[in-house]
Order: sequence, then C-alpha cells, then structure tokens
Amino acid sequence: MAKEKQEKSNEKPDLDKVVEESRRDFIRRLSIAGAVSVTGAAALYSGHSFEKAKHSKGMVRVLTEDNRLVEIPADQIKDLKPDIKALKARGKEGLQGKRWVMVIDLSRCRNARKCVEACQSAHHLRPYEYHINTLVMKESVNTPEYFMPKPCQHCDNPPCVSVCPVDATYKRQDGIVLIDNERCIGCRFCMAACPYSARMFHWQEPSQAENDKEKVYDVELNVPQKKGTISKCLFSADRIREGLLPYCVSACPNGVFYFGDENEDAVTNGTTKETVMLSELLQKNAGYRLQVELGTNPRVYYLPPKNRLFEFERGPEKEYREETI
Amino acid sequence: MKYFILTVLFIILPPVIAWGQDWVVPEERKGRLSTFPFTDETRQSGEKLYLTNCISCHGNPGKGNYINLVPSPGDPATEKIQRNSDGEIFYKLSVGRGQMPSFRNVLTGDEIWHVVSYLRSFNKNYVQKVMQIITSSAYPGAVIMMTVGFNEADSTVIVRASAVDEQKTVPVTGAEVRLFARRYFGMMVIDEEKTTSESGTAVFKIPAGLPGDKEGNIHFSAKFADEDLFGIVSKDTTLMAGEITVPVSLLAERSMWNNVRKAPIWVILTYTIGVIGVWGFIFLIMMKLRDIYIIGSFIQGKKSSEAI
Amino acid sequence: MNEIRFSSPKEQGKLDSVASDVLRNVRISKAFIIWIGFLFLALAACLYAYIIQLKEGLGVTGLRDYTSWGMYIANFVFFVATSLVGMLISSVLGLIGYNWVKPISRIAEIIAIAFAAVAGLVIISDMGRPDRFPFLFRFGRIQSPILWDVTVVTTYLVLSLLLWYFPLIPDLAISKNRLHGRPSFLIKVYELLSLRWEHHESQYRILKQAMRILLILIIPTAFAIHTVTSWLFAVTPRTGWDSTIFGPYFLSGAFVSGTAAVIIAMYFFRVNYKLEKYLTPFHFEKMGRVLILVSIVYIYFNLNEFLVPGYKLKTGDAIHLRELFTGHYAMLFWGVQLVGLVIPVILLLIKQMRRPMPMMIISVFVLAASWLKRYIIVVPGQGHPNLPIQNVPVEWVVYKPTLIETAVTIASILLVLIIITILSKLFPVIPIWEIAEDDHDKEKLSGNE
Repeated sequence: MAKEKQEKSNEKPDLDKVVEESRRDFIRRLSIAGAVSVTGAAALYSGHSFEKAKHSKGMVRVLTEDNRLVEIPADQIKDLKPDIKALKARGKEGLQGKRWVMVIDLSRCRNARKCVEACQSAHHLRPYEYHINTLVMKESVNTPEYFMPKPCQHCDNPPCVSVCPVDATYKRQDGIVLIDNERCIGCRFCMAACPYSARMFHWQEPSQAENDKEKVYDVELNVPQKKGTISKCLFSADRIREGLLPYCVSACPNGVFYFGDENEDAVTNGTTKETVMLSELLQKNAGYRLQVELGTNPRVYYLPPKNRLFEFERGPEKEYREETI
Repeated sequence: MKYFILTVLFIILPPVIAWGQDWVVPEERKGRLSTFPFTDETRQSGEKLYLTNCISCHGNPGKGNYINLVPSPGDPATEKIQRNSDGEIFYKLSVGRGQMPSFRNVLTGDEIWHVVSYLRSFNKNYVQKVMQIITSSAYPGAVIMMTVGFNEADSTVIVRASAVDEQKTVPVTGAEVRLFARRYFGMMVIDEEKTTSESGTAVFKIPAGLPGDKEGNIHFSAKFADEDLFGIVSKDTTLMAGEITVPVSLLAERSMWNNVRKAPIWVILTYTIGVIGVWGFIFLIMMKLRDIYIIGSFIQGKKSSEAI
Repeated sequence: MNEIRFSSPKEQGKLDSVASDVLRNVRISKAFIIWIGFLFLALAACLYAYIIQLKEGLGVTGLRDYTSWGMYIANFVFFVATSLVGMLISSVLGLIGYNWVKPISRIAEIIAIAFAAVAGLVIISDMGRPDRFPFLFRFGRIQSPILWDVTVVTTYLVLSLLLWYFPLIPDLAISKNRLHGRPSFLIKVYELLSLRWEHHESQYRILKQAMRILLILIIPTAFAIHTVTSWLFAVTPRTGWDSTIFGPYFLSGAFVSGTAAVIIAMYFFRVNYKLEKYLTPFHFEKMGRVLILVSIVYIYFNLNEFLVPGYKLKTGDAIHLRELFTGHYAMLFWGVQLVGLVIPVILLLIKQMRRPMPMMIISVFVLAASWLKRYIIVVPGQGHPNLPIQNVPVEWVVYKPTLIETAVTIASILLVLIIITILSKLFPVIPIWEIAEDDHDKEKLSGNE
C-alpha cells in the first residue's frame, strides 16, 4: 500500500525505473526467443506423436479439479458422484462480495425467445414452463406495445422468501433467490406471494425426470427438477460461479441482456460481451424497475423501449398444448 | 452513445454481409503469428475461455452442435474454419462481425491467442509457426513497452508508452491507446480511446465512484488500438484507483425474508411468548384433570373402606 | 346411585329424565351403522381420487401456475371459519352470561372439533409433497404465516377438545351406570374417561375453574386462528388480497358460517334425536338473532372491502372488481352476497322465519354461500396477476376445478360428518348435568322469591 502511494506522488522517476527494468528484461528475452521457437516446434511434434502412442495404450486424458490435464489408464477410472452436501452448502452460501444485477434493454428485444429456449434446455423444462418468459406489454391505450423478457426479479425484499414455511426458498448474500427442491413442501405460498408471477410449479412429472434420475441434485441449477415442487429463475447460479454469463444472457442474439456485479458497478452484455458501467447505463437510458411501489426492490432493471432497433412485430401466435397428465 | 452506434452497426450489418461473400481479413493481418508456442497450458486456458465466451453459439468443437443463426456460426473444428491462417482467426476473434462479438474488448491479446491454440488442437495437420519477436513497424528494431500509473490528484490513469532498444528509450507518440478495468465478466473500457502525447503519455479519466476492491484496487489493462503499428502490446497493472468497496452481505440485517436465525426480534418474541403462554395454560388445565382423578380415587377409596 | 349435588328426590328425578332423554340416542343402532357405513364407503371412494392425485401430482387438479390456490384452499378457509363457532357460542355468549347457550354449547364444540381437525388435513391435500409435512416442524421458519397457522390450528383444536371434554366428565359419570345394553367397550370408555368423577364439590370447583380458564383462553386463540388464516392472503402484495381489514373480515365471516352450521346441527338433533324439549323454538329464535347480528357485521365488512377499492379503482383493483361485479364471477358473487347474506338477514327479521324449520333452510343457504364466498376470495384475484398471462396453454388461464379435486374436497366434508356423527352418537350431545343444574338453580331462585 505504501509503495502504491509513493508511485502516485512521485510518478515520473518511477515510470522511468519501470521502463529501465523492462528493457533489461527484454534483452534477456531476446536471447531466448530464438531458442524457444525451435524447441517449441520440436516439442510440439514430439508431443503429438507421444500422445498418439499413449492413446493406443488405453490411456485417458482427464481434466482435474484444479484444471490440469492428466492422463491415467482407462481401467483405473472410477466414477465419483459429486458431493450433494457440498453442492448444497455452496448453493446456500453464494459468492462472497457479489451482488448480481441484470439489465434488460427493451429497445433491443424482438421476441426471438432464444433466452427462453436456452433457459428451458438448461433447466429441463417444457416449452410452456418458464423461468423466463417474454411478454407482450402494453401499458395503456395510447402507448405502444413492446416485448418484455421477464425473469425472476431476485428482489431484495422478496415476498416469496418471507412466506416460505420451511426455508426451501432463500436469499443468498449475493442477492440470488434460490430454491431447494429437496426441501420444498409444495404449498405454493411463494407463488401466491410473487407479484411478478415468476414462479412455476411442477404439476406433473418433470419432462426429463426419467433421464435425470441418476443425477446428483445441484441446487444452483435446480436439476433434476422434482414433481410437486417449485422451480424458478436462478440467475444461472451455476454458470456465474464459473465466471460465465447466465444461459439466457449469453443466448440472446440481440444484445438485450446485461449482467454483472453491482458492487463492481459493471454489467456485461451477453451478445456483444461489452462491459459497461451499470450506473452510467441506467442513468443515460432512464433505467427503471418493475412495480417499485410494492417495495420489493428487484435486482432486475429495465431500459425503456425507446428508439427501438426493430419494428414491433407480433409474429405468428404460437399455441401451447399441455402434455397430457 | 458509442455503444449504441456500435450495436446498431452490429445489428444492421449482418444481413448486408451475409448477402455478400466470405469474411475477408485485411491482407496485412493474415500473416500475424503468436509470439509464444502453443502448449498444453495455452490450450487449457484457451478451452476455459472458449467455454466462457464461445460455446453458447459455436457449441463444442467437433460436435457440430452450434446454434442456428444467419450467418451460421459454424463448428470451429471443421475444415472451413481451420483453413484460416492463425492471423485470420486472431483477427476474426478480435474484431468480430455481425452477431460475432468483438473480443478485443473482452480478452487480452494473449488470451485470444490461447483460444486460437485451443481451436488448433482440433486440427491434426496443424504445425505452429511462432513469431520470433514482438515487432513494431513504427519503431523498427525496438520493443514497445507500456507503464501505467495512477494520479490521485485528478483521478486519472496515465499510460506511458516507450520504444526500447539496446541503445535508447524514446517515447511512443501518436499511438492510440485504450484502457480497460477488469470486471467479473469482462474488461470494461475506461474513458475513451486516447492518443499518446509528445512525451508518450495518454491520460484516462477514471469515472467518479468506480468501485475497486476492499483496498480500492482495480486491475487495469492498457492496449494499443493499432496493433500493426505498435505490435500487440498490453500492460496489466493493479492500482489503487478505485473507490474502496467493502461488500456488505445482503443477509446482514434481520428481516422477514431472512433465515430463521435472522428473524425480526419482535416476531421471535411474540411467537415464543404466545406459544409458551397458551400451552403453559393448557398444561395447567391438563394437570387439573389429574387433580380430578386423584380426588375421585380418594373418595372411592374411602367409600369402599366404609363399605367394608 | 345418587348424584350428591342433587339431594332432593325432585331434583334427582329431573336429572334422571334429562339423562334418559339424552342417553336414548347414545347407542349403536341400525340406522347409525347404515349411516356411518355409507359415510365410510363414500369416503373410500373419494380417497381413491386423492390416491390418484398422490400418484400423478397436483396436475390432476385444475390448478396451474397462475391460479395455484383453488378449491382446497377455499375449503380450508371455510373449515377454519366454521370451526370458530365453538368459541363464539361457548365463550363469548357463555361468558356474557347467556344461559340459554348451555344445551347448544356442546353441539358448537363438536362442530369446532370436527372442522378444525379436518382443516389440517385439507391443507395437506393441497401440498405438492405431503410426504414432507414433518419438515414444517423440523425446518419451520418463524416468519411464515403457515407456521403460525399450523401452530394456532393445533392449539385451537386442543382447546376445543378440552372445552368439549371438561363439561363431559360429569355426564360420563352420570351416564356410565345408565348404559344398559350398550356395547361393553363403550361403557369401558365412559368409565375411563369419567376420571373417577364422584360429583364432589371440590371436583366441581376444579372443573369450573378449568372451564373459566379455557373459555378465556380460547378467545384469543380463535381470533388468532382466523386472523392468521386471513394473513395467508393479506401478507401478499396481490390484488384482491392486499387488504388491511382481512383479519376482521374473515373473522366476522367465520361467525356467519359457524352459526349457520350450528343451526343446521341443532335442527338435525332436535328432530332426529327427539330433543325438542331441550332444543326449543326459543333456542332457535335466539340463534336467529345471533345470525342476524353476525351477518350484519359481515355485510358491514363486505361494504368496506368492496366500496373502498371500488371508489378509487386502482388498476389492479378495477380489473378484479369488474370480474366480480359484472365479469366471469358475477353470478357467483351476487348469488353469494344476496342469497347467502342480504336476503337471509331480511327474512330472519321476520319473526315467523326464526322458527326451527325455516331457520334451518335459511342456514343451509347461508352455509353453502359461505363456502362459495371463500372460493370467491381465493380464486378470482389470481386470474389477473400484475403481469399478463401469456404463452401458456389455454387451460392455464381460467381455473376450473376438476372432478378429482371436487372428490377430495367432498372427502373432507365426509370426514367432518364422520367426526360429528361419532362424537354426537357415542357421547351425550346435550350437557346433562348443566341442564339439570340450570333448572335446579332456576327452581332455587323462584323458591326464594
């Protein structure tokens, strides 16, 4: 810390010193660069043939937990199930120091519904079961229609969590409202309490229940889904943990979604991958939140559908048929 | 506004280009090579980056499970993509086109090369050529260096670029430099593109209230915009240029929505006192049933002894 | 045998006659067996519907993501409401000093027990994972009104049972020697439950003391049980439920349905059990007045509940009220308000209508309307959430109860009837000693004059 301060107050000589150091470093590098290119090419070739040889001996390449690629004999592989307790514990804990926030730019949404599809495929839902749904909105007679993607708002004063009798739905320190479907008793009080209709219930056997039987339950993905329990948008807690943007955010082809950490005052667009300042984005575009009068304090912001990139086109009405129960 | 125009371009351009022809890379960029050899390490790093940034459209290389867009993203393991030169792939990843994002705002130059290295691992016939040294066409024979410092007085970050060879160090002038701050999901552009002055410096204004970590540290990365003139040079530094941000857990305060241990005191008290109170009385009343029984037993006992 | 409290032959004779009138019905008759057999058979048929629901999931009901609470919850609210009458009759009226409630109080308690006990089961039938019911006790969140509800319903049930059982103890002792020809298990049960009651002064003292505590204790508990039930709705920010008067609104409504239920039961026992001497037109007349009073209070709360939002017409409220007044639920709404509430009050103001038979018929309407009223409170609001219902199958938009959930609901009603039947058939339905004591006191008073 002291060093940093010094650098600020006494900047110029320090900069020179750094340049001096890098020059010495450069000269060192220059002398080895030639060698590297030759040996590199040689190593590449030998490595290639080496791998070929190994593969033929029943060896398998495995990515270890600390991200090392190793090879082990195929007959020594043991299937390990991920520890369900560890998954639960980290799902309960959340990411320290983070406050996730989503910004949805309504001026860019053309109802491609790629967000919906990506979400449904990740969470094993039917076409009419939603964690995120794109709605056609029209506030009043003289105001225009527009499309509005609607995920769970991950409120900071979540009415759904308040009413849960068994702690099955809970809010984490990083703002995400999650569901533990191994705890949920299916009373649906949370659905009744949610003013955004963000929750869904498994009225019948979930669509991929048969395939997911053997899977270890990951509370951050809510897969396998369970009959008789609630499900809802999780801000893709499993992806965020790995530094990935949520499924819906990265699936959008039109740059509608931004996602990021409020504590860093930054959100990243899922399509352009551009990272911008959250406060500036909201300020310049008059960002707002849904139904603020309810005091729910959502973590999802909307940018008004002004200067739209697309004409509003309803497209063919799709009919949804319930699978027979 | 800049983002807006960029986005407009991204969205208007694709059909235009899709009608046209192949994606043409400027001649001078085609021959660019990585400055380091591709190793398992670079491939792993590349794979990680691929999984973060590319998989959602391109799918798993070799599996053909890319999503259906126009123009088609394609599977990077196919011959169509692999016949691009390293330089072409690097250019396409950096600049982007249509719905393909421009990753130079997201990844560092080295990171893009890591992705190239990962993609090349799906090509059996590929033999890498490595560029021997970092060259600069503006300062032939010299290596371009950057230093990054923070000026607390006016809250600016100063990037100084110099060309270094064995004899001397000269400032790099007239070079366009961009500054990024590392955020959780990518690199955020700070201020706008700046041109280095006579003394080789570019000054970036830090937006007010830009959050740093607990000590106010921010990880910065400075880059040349024109990589042809100055080579792929970037400088990563951590500076105490941000607002000190001590994250507070959202669960800190007692509330109705918090977990049981964090319930409001009044709820705990009312519930507990109510339940204990009423059930205390119920217990008392149950005891009275016992009293009735004892008295009855006593009377019956007396009666039977009288009868005897 | 002599009951020491009634020393004179005249008083003893009075007791004997009450006991024989009441105990005449305490027997396992053919009619009883047929009736209870029918109830259990019907129950089994309806429970089969519940087994289907257990197997297939709640999808077999008409409930879906938007209207996710329907008939079951409405039925639950109705049950809780009706059970409150135990408190109203025994406690409120009893403590005020209305002695005429004595022959009715046990009927009221039986109704309270039956409805409160089954209410708990109804809520389980609405759960997606009934196997996880114990989680409520293992992981209960003290902030959730459901936890409060489970607590108070249990407490109320226990208090109602005690309030039924305490005054029954002397009756059991009086009856146990008069049950000649009844099955021996019944006599044994009487012997056991009478707790060696010897009609001793000190035993009476303890009994009366306990009763006083119970009668006071049950008032806040009963208020709590229905207020908390109303909070299941009122704590949510949903149109139609987001109301501050839901507590008293529910409470006043509860007295209406409970009183109607008691009147129906009174009529049934009067006619079938030949208890005309004890459940007299006088009692019906009184209960008629009670029904008028509670109905008017309920109308007053209805006025508040609909006039105030109807005056302002906030966006959500406007849609909700339009649905009720002129929309999809208009028939039901006006039917309930007029046939179930306003017209009964007007009719009951006529003296001839407060006779047993007309009262019973009116009460049937009131009770049925009370059930539908709960349906109107629970269901319509959910059909119009703040954000539009889109991109879902058509069946999801408007809630229609299915046969299966109707059957499960009927099962709960059958269960209530079974409990009422057992409690009223195997035990004295009119408090023997209290009636005898009452007359005894009256005679004493008139003697002194």
